Amino acid sequence: MNAVAKTVNLVKIYQDGAVPVPAVRGVDLQVEPGEFVAVMGPSGSGKSTLVHMLGGLDTRTSGEIWLDGKRVDTLSESAWALLRRKKIGFVFQFFNLVANMTVGDNVELPALLSGASPKVARRRRESLLAALNLTDRADAAPAQLSGGEQQRVALARALANEPALLLADEPTGNLDSRNTRDVLRLLGDVHKDGQTIVMVTHDARVASLADRVVSLFDGEIVDDGRIVRRRTGTAGEVIDLR
Amino acid sequence: MSTTRAGSRWVRADLRARKGPAALTVLAVAGIVAALITAVTLLEDGTNPWRGLFAQTEGAHVWIYTKDGPQVSLGGIDGVAETAGPYRSAPVTVAQDGRRDPAALRAMPATPPAVAHPVVAEGRWLDPAQPDGVVVERSFARSLGLRIGAPFTIIALNGGRHTLYVRGIADSADQGFYPEWTPGLAYVLPVMLDRVEPVQARSEWVTGLRLDDPEASQVVSQRAVVMLEDGLQRVYTWREVRASMELDNRLLGTLLALFGVVGLVAAALALANAAGGRVLGQLRDLATLKSMGFTKGQVALLLLVEHGALGLLGIALGAVTGWGVMAAMLGPSSVAAGPVLAIVAGTALVVLAAVGLPAWRGGRTPPIPAAPAAPPRGHLSRLARLALLVRLPPALVLGTRDAFTRRVPAFLTAFGLAVPMMMITIGLGVWSTLDSFKSHPEQVGQHASLYVRPGKLEPAAAQRIAERDKDVAAVYPGTDVNALAPGEARSVRVRALGGSAQPYPFPVVEGRMYARQGEAVAGQGLLDLLGVEIGDRVRLTVGGTPLIVRIVGRAVEPDQDGEVLSLGLDSLAEKDAEPPTYYALALQPGADPAEVRGRLLGESAEGLDVQAAVNPADRLSVIRVVIVALIAVLALIGLANLLTASALGLRDHAFDLAVLKAMGLTPRQVMATLVTGTGLLVVLGIGAGAVAGASVVTALIDLQGHTSGVGAGIGRAPSPVTLAVTVVVAVGAALAVALIPARRAARAQVPVTAR
Ligand SMILES: Nc1ncnc2c1ncn2[C@@H]1O[C@H](COP(=O)(O)OP(=O)(O)OP(=O)(O)O)[C@@H](O)[C@H]1O
Ligand SMILES: [Mg+2]
Repeated sequence: MNAVAKTVNLVKIYQDGAVPVPAVRGVDLQVEPGEFVAVMGPSGSGKSTLVHMLGGLDTRTSGEIWLDGKRVDTLSESAWALLRRKKIGFVFQFFNLVANMTVGDNVELPALLSGASPKVARRRRESLLAALNLTDRADAAPAQLSGGEQQRVALARALANEPALLLADEPTGNLDSRNTRDVLRLLGDVHKDGQTIVMVTHDARVASLADRVVSLFDGEIVDDGRIVRRRTGTAGEVIDLR
Repeated sequence: MSTTRAGSRWVRADLRARKGPAALTVLAVAGIVAALITAVTLLEDGTNPWRGLFAQTEGAHVWIYTKDGPQVSLGGIDGVAETAGPYRSAPVTVAQDGRRDPAALRAMPATPPAVAHPVVAEGRWLDPAQPDGVVVERSFARSLGLRIGAPFTIIALNGGRHTLYVRGIADSADQGFYPEWTPGLAYVLPVMLDRVEPVQARSEWVTGLRLDDPEASQVVSQRAVVMLEDGLQRVYTWREVRASMELDNRLLGTLLALFGVVGLVAAALALANAAGGRVLGQLRDLATLKSMGFTKGQVALLLLVEHGALGLLGIALGAVTGWGVMAAMLGPSSVAAGPVLAIVAGTALVVLAAVGLPAWRGGRTPPIPAAPAAPPRGHLSRLARLALLVRLPPALVLGTRDAFTRRVPAFLTAFGLAVPMMMITIGLGVWSTLDSFKSHPEQVGQHASLYVRPGKLEPAAAQRIAERDKDVAAVYPGTDVNALAPGEARSVRVRALGGSAQPYPFPVVEGRMYARQGEAVAGQGLLDLLGVEIGDRVRLTVGGTPLIVRIVGRAVEPDQDGEVLSLGLDSLAEKDAEPPTYYALALQPGADPAEVRGRLLGESAEGLDVQAAVNPADRLSVIRVVIVALIAVLALIGLANLLTASALGLRDHAFDLAVLKAMGLTPRQVMATLVTGTGLLVVLGIGAGAVAGASVVTALIDLQGHTSGVGAGIGRAPSPVTLAVTVVVAVGAALAVALIPARRAARAQVPVTAR
């Protein structure tokens, strides 16, 4: 079976003025289907850059990116966009909901974009919001929601197109522990249903939910370890371990 | 398909979130399009009734007036297809409800001719069974308030009164509309004309020539001039008739076109501003859309559709409104489809171009949502430093800094307000020009406010009565004659008024007033027509007598498209000058013309015919309505720009507000900061617009005056007081508008969380 995502000697150098800033320096990473990978590392180590490149939000300087067995680093910007519709879901630190659209519309948008009929999109949104306990907030504006609720909506939105790969950049970075627990429980649930996830986090306890933790330092992978899972471990318990 | 669905959701949601500004955009564009369509319709021939009338009546292209029945065969001239007449015509005065109107009574047969036959609109044509019947040309009948069956009392040159009865009201393209074209036209049977005016010498003969090629009218009329020699009185062609029928519409159309075109630029700017500001405010959302899988092109297209749709909706609304107004005013067939389509297509292009750039920029938003949407900050602008230097309160300093941190939007805001303000100033200039027509009629050649025709009295007696009145300051004997210019296809008006030594004070704006016999002043229209300049000598023919004068100056000339030569009575040949046909009465300052008129009529036992001068401003009063409407549309455009600016300013500050408050600024100071930011640009824009408008308005009006023949020298800038009040009102209103969102923002609890 093909890896969901694979990078070969991936390099990103920002040309910021005269000084080149190397953000990612030769990363080889392979994400298997159904895997939940946590990317850790100090600030500025290139975590976001790596995830952005995996989703085509940023272009690589050199190296290869493969998604579902296809080479994608050579794709044009719009080809990437088309690919994202079908295969990738993003969750960002600051939720990034479209401010003018209702919660329901925010969730339906990617489903519609991936080609679902309005009826199907609506059904998917209903089931997602129900799973996230947000059914009664469907007509609210994002601004009326708490941070945790917004991030749950963002997660629902990221899943609405049934992506092969869910990319999450510090999804809990802006949440308190209670909301963090809620969001992590959701991530754990979708992972259990077979969703492949790559999640950036600062927080070792959050990372411990993953199957595998990749540590970045100065744009290079310094550690790549599988976590031996406690069979009964759930997100809730992880957080409760203090 | 999938993107269409997803995109339309987003567009709908976004429009819902900004209903007010969106509606404003639609209204502003609609106003401009309506103005443009109105302008084009008024300028286009379609509204000129001449075309329809000429076709209906199978009109004649050239009209020739001769002393006697023409002795030569005018029908034999090359290019003449058919002739109408010759008909005998006699000048009479129509006495109606105390009014006296000059009329030409034309003898026509009971069976209408094939060419230039009046088309009866009401009633019937002349009938030998009713010899006292008269058919009156429609505009003349309307001006006199005549209906079928009404008595039509005329006074012949010999003073005899005759009462005829209106049997019909007819449309005709034989001459222009009354009262722009005098005398009015009425048709009677030849037997009746013989009874009214038995003296052949007091009448003239009218012949109409229908040509194979309308463009040949110049050549044909010159032929006729040569053939008829001394017998010829005057000639005019279909061009003069058409021009006289479109007179006022053209001026109005030009005004509307000017405002429409500049307004379109302003509206495009407002649209670009609004779209650009909106895009700046939405960078995060756009990035999110891209992270979801919208391509660059699709995002640009979304923005183009959203903002373009508002413009297109405005265009549709404006087209319907403009068409509706024109159809209501001038009849449904007056609006030509071609130009309207061109306007719709043209404005649509402008709209799409205006929103295209911001849309393209929005499409290029990087898809990484963390992209900062903060304003560039850092350096204090020079102005802000100045504000610090003179120890302005902190709120003002901050506001001043904000005003210029984003240079391009700052410029666009100021410019977007300056353009409407400039147009408003121009509108006010037109207004004050009309006011000055009214308050200083002598500056448009209306030094005299009453015109007295001797009527039943001897001219000398009329003059005596006029001179005796205590409110009459001066009496100028005068006479108007038609003169033929060499090589011209038509007659021009020669107005002899007063003596050359004590000339009637024509408003000479170039050269000098005539001071002796043989000198004259001319209107711009005449200079253009004859292709002469001040200082040139012109040779005209008045009833066979040559008239050679030197043009020494140009006068403002609102009559006859400026095609008037004014000179002293003594410059005219004795036979044309004596006796004067009328007396122009200049009144004492403050005297009421109506009162003087009443007195003169009383003194003369109704023997005099006294007319008040018609101020050109009265004819143009509809322009004031148009100016008010245009100012409203321009204010809308300015408002749209302002809303964009303050929305952008607020967005830039949404996250600074908490910081500002934490720094210790009170809500009031926060508000002052925000208002200063936009207010400074407002003041700059409005000030610049007013200055620009005031400096071009006189030249613009004079340009219009020049092209319309009246001549330069009529333009007036709005008075300083008016301008100051307008600027203060505009700035005040703008600040009030900027205050509302600023107040709300200053009061609101701003979360300190990240963006
Ligand atoms: N657009 C950019 N232009 C220039 N340099 C950039 C840009 N984005 C990131 N960098 C640099 O690349 C490096 C990696 O940045 P990145 O955002 O990937 O780090 P990170 O690991 O996500 O950090 P954090 O934990 O703070 O989010 C940093 O040194 C950063 O300064
Ligand atoms: Mg990061």
